Amino acid sequence: MSDIFSFNGARNAGWSQPEPILSDPEVLGTIPSSMLRASPPAWPRASEPELVRHYTWLSRRNFGIDTGFYPLGSCTMKHNPRVNERIVNLPGIDRMHPLQPEHQIQGILSIFYEMQEMLAICSGMDQVTLQPVAGAQGEFTAMRCIQEFHRERGEGHRNKVIVPDSAHGTNPASASMCGYEIIEIPSGEDGRIDLDALQSVVGDDTAAMMITNPSTLGVFEPDIASASEIVHSAGGQMYYDGANFNAIIGKTDPGLMGFDAVHYNLHKTFSQPHGGGGPGSGPIGVKKHLSKYLPSPLASRRKIIESDPEGVGDGYWYSWISPENTIGKVQQWHGNAGAVVRCWAFYRRYGRELERMSEHAVLNANYLRFKIMNPEKDVLSKIHAMPTDGAPTDFVMHEFTLSMIGMKDKVGVTGKDIAKRLLDYGVMAPTLYFPMIVPECLMIEPTETESKEVLDKFAADFLNVLSEDPELIKGAPYTTDVSRVDEVWAARNLILRHPGNNSDVN
Amino acid sequence: MDQLPNLGREHEMLSVMGLNSIEELFSNIPEGVRRKKPLPLPAPQSEEEIWRDAQHLLGSNIDLDSRPSFLSAGLSRNFVPTMVGMLATRGEFLTSYTPYQAEVSQGMLQAMWEFQTMISELVNLPISNVSMYDASTSAAEALTCAIRVHNKKAIQKDTIYVSELVPPHRMSVIENYVQGSGINLQMLKHDENGHLDINAASIAHGSCAVYVEQPNSFGILDEGLMKLKEKIGENTALIVGVDAVSLGLVTPPGDWGADIVVGEGQPFGIGPTFGGPIYGIFACNEKYIRQMPGRIVGQTHDTNEKKAFTLTLSTREQHIRRHRATSNICSNETLIALMGAMHMSLLGPDGITVLAKRVAASTEATKKALTSIEGVELLYPNSSNFREFVIKIPGNTEKAVSFMDSEGVIAGFPLGLWWESHSSCILIGCDERTSPSDISSLVSVVKKWIKEVIN
Repeated sequence: MSDIFSFNGARNAGWSQPEPILSDPEVLGTIPSSMLRASPPAWPRASEPELVRHYTWLSRRNFGIDTGFYPLGSCTMKHNPRVNERIVNLPGIDRMHPLQPEHQIQGILSIFYEMQEMLAICSGMDQVTLQPVAGAQGEFTAMRCIQEFHRERGEGHRNKVIVPDSAHGTNPASASMCGYEIIEIPSGEDGRIDLDALQSVVGDDTAAMMITNPSTLGVFEPDIASASEIVHSAGGQMYYDGANFNAIIGKTDPGLMGFDAVHYNLHKTFSQPHGGGGPGSGPIGVKKHLSKYLPSPLASRRKIIESDPEGVGDGYWYSWISPENTIGKVQQWHGNAGAVVRCWAFYRRYGRELERMSEHAVLNANYLRFKIMNPEKDVLSKIHAMPTDGAPTDFVMHEFTLSMIGMKDKVGVTGKDIAKRLLDYGVMAPTLYFPMIVPECLMIEPTETESKEVLDKFAADFLNVLSEDPELIKGAPYTTDVSRVDEVWAARNLILRHPGNNSDVN
Repeated sequence: MDQLPNLGREHEMLSVMGLNSIEELFSNIPEGVRRKKPLPLPAPQSEEEIWRDAQHLLGSNIDLDSRPSFLSAGLSRNFVPTMVGMLATRGEFLTSYTPYQAEVSQGMLQAMWEFQTMISELVNLPISNVSMYDASTSAAEALTCAIRVHNKKAIQKDTIYVSELVPPHRMSVIENYVQGSGINLQMLKHDENGHLDINAASIAHGSCAVYVEQPNSFGILDEGLMKLKEKIGENTALIVGVDAVSLGLVTPPGDWGADIVVGEGQPFGIGPTFGGPIYGIFACNEKYIRQMPGRIVGQTHDTNEKKAFTLTLSTREQHIRRHRATSNICSNETLIALMGAMHMSLLGPDGITVLAKRVAASTEATKKALTSIEGVELLYPNSSNFREFVIKIPGNTEKAVSFMDSEGVIAGFPLGLWWESHSSCILIGCDERTSPSDISSLVSVVKKWIKEVIN
């Protein structure tokens, strides 16, 4: 394998930089001698040619959407238009400082403003902040705003947040970081909200309910308006986890469903390449009564007046404003501006036709589900056990869940085994074992950017796996860079860094 | 619209399912919550039109490279090697996600394991995660992590101490992150030299954690901090926020007792990018490993005993532990950390030393040049500085910076915007790219301003 710490190409000729503008004694004299570092960090001593080859080698051992189909449910792994990457290399974003005065940042402020407005329109909210940098941080930010709202009304005693058992793990984790106690309610037998269960837990200690709709089972909650009513009449706030917002744009919105606050996963609903785990962008939108608590600052605008310097040419002057009772900052600056700009470029591609994006996400999910669940007779006859639907529903939204419990019971093949075997077919595995309420769960989200042919092939490959020799499936994968990885050993031994084999590493 | 491969093929696909229209798929949305009107948004654009608008809008911004700039305040006007952007945007890296399936994600996993190694080396602590959102959330989550580890044995329960010089935006992030758990947040005072009052710092003994920065927000390197651990004791976490580049020259906090080191990773890997995406460094010693936030990569092997990497210690995380998780962090800043790893590996041990010297040299040269002007004073004349320092000048500093801006120089940050008590001060930020000609431009506009005020 390629080991970055074993290269020697820069022992004498490393990457060159201009010399410091003062001599060594002048520089070193500025720092107390007791504070001078004894020896530099034992970083690699590699030359550019070696490194380019190393990182190219690493990239070839990594699977992205560009490599193949990536049906990772809940993560919305769609194609990322390449012009977005070109745009964020412009100096007008890459070389900008968040503390520059307003007249130097009119262009970026106008993009922020346009994004705030567009997100508010699509979600039925009144005000949006772009500051949270990930969905989970959006959740945390909104729960902080809700907390301040209750406190200011003298209802700071409301200390419980309700989440369905099918919720994303970030929901309870974010509320808990605000100091809230979590009340988990079981889903009904059809995977939907159990209104009786909800009614039985709300009370004058309810701060909020957090819920995603469509749910993590990919199913729209038909009783959502009633759920909102139950929570509101108990004095609680309704929070919409926007992880699945990509399914409903233009069809309905969280405002219509009765929500008070929502986060958007810009990187999922729109597009920001997920880059091996991030960056993301998690703006939140709120109804009017919560807007004065939003993080500071927000982009704002007014009609241009004569004394103004030149703006962007649209007749407006853009500026920062601070909400009246702001909770302050959740990220140091203005959020992941680079992600906001990419998502602006993505949104501009659809404009008023954003609805088509949701339609195609839903069309692709239903089509793929149909193809998997309705195999040809000769295919069906070879399958050990068919998957069962995570939620018994006629149509799903943008994703669906399958329980592989039949395969486990009949031939001892787990959901994980099937996921690993799929890797041999040149696709990424679906999300595994989530939501936890579906046994041996695989969660599949094709996204709108996959062609019918890709979906047909995946369905055929998936069904083929279910007919393979169980021992073969259990030993998978076979064609990947490494075979099945021992995660238990990793957790027991915790080798978390290179031991160092440079001569100057201790 | 050109991103939909099945556009125009809807009926072909619907008919397979025995359906006639896409609307049928949305039939589970009740009438009462349906949107009745189309979205009031503009028409779709082509790539070419989007590029044109982006060029126009972003082109109307004034970027830091277009003129002499002395604005830093926690971000670096760095130079990122060309290799970094080219390799990090290879689709296999760019368009992957969290490496849950290790068998097809060895590339990113190994790169992050190497990143962990380089951060560990830089700060001299054994463990690093694969990034937090930024320096501020790193600091905030380091504090909540320390509370989980130390509260049981703490004499001052639920109490943490933070340097009063932590900049207000970071303080605000910290306040938001700790307020929910009923944490008692106390301040540590500084003396007239801008150094932490090290004797008074003993007050933090027996609390859960102390957070200080080296250099602090005035750019001051504070030698006294190296004795802080003995003042606060073994059972109180010493958390140090660093300027990552400074560690090319300055003793890493791991050498002087820091338990957790956090900081802004941005100088390695990415431009200032209007404040994001950037990434936070988070490194710690073994005591904190099971309570730390964020993702961690460990070495292991596959079924054929071949060396391999995987995410590890996931049982701390929200997708497993839910409300008992050590953090809610899910999406993080891995791609930016990857860019950081590329930049750091290209610098190497010699390059980081030279880079730190370049910043220190610019700082010193700028400081000397400005103090030679009559009317300009250093707020802390006896301090050692890295990257930043504070000057006092006559007149209203916001107006001064604005005047110098109109003369074509971004002359730093008026500190009155952070602290009213410092309304006569400007925070001057330097970096490796500060040139002698930048410095003389700054000197000449400062002189011009002083002349303006005096008349």
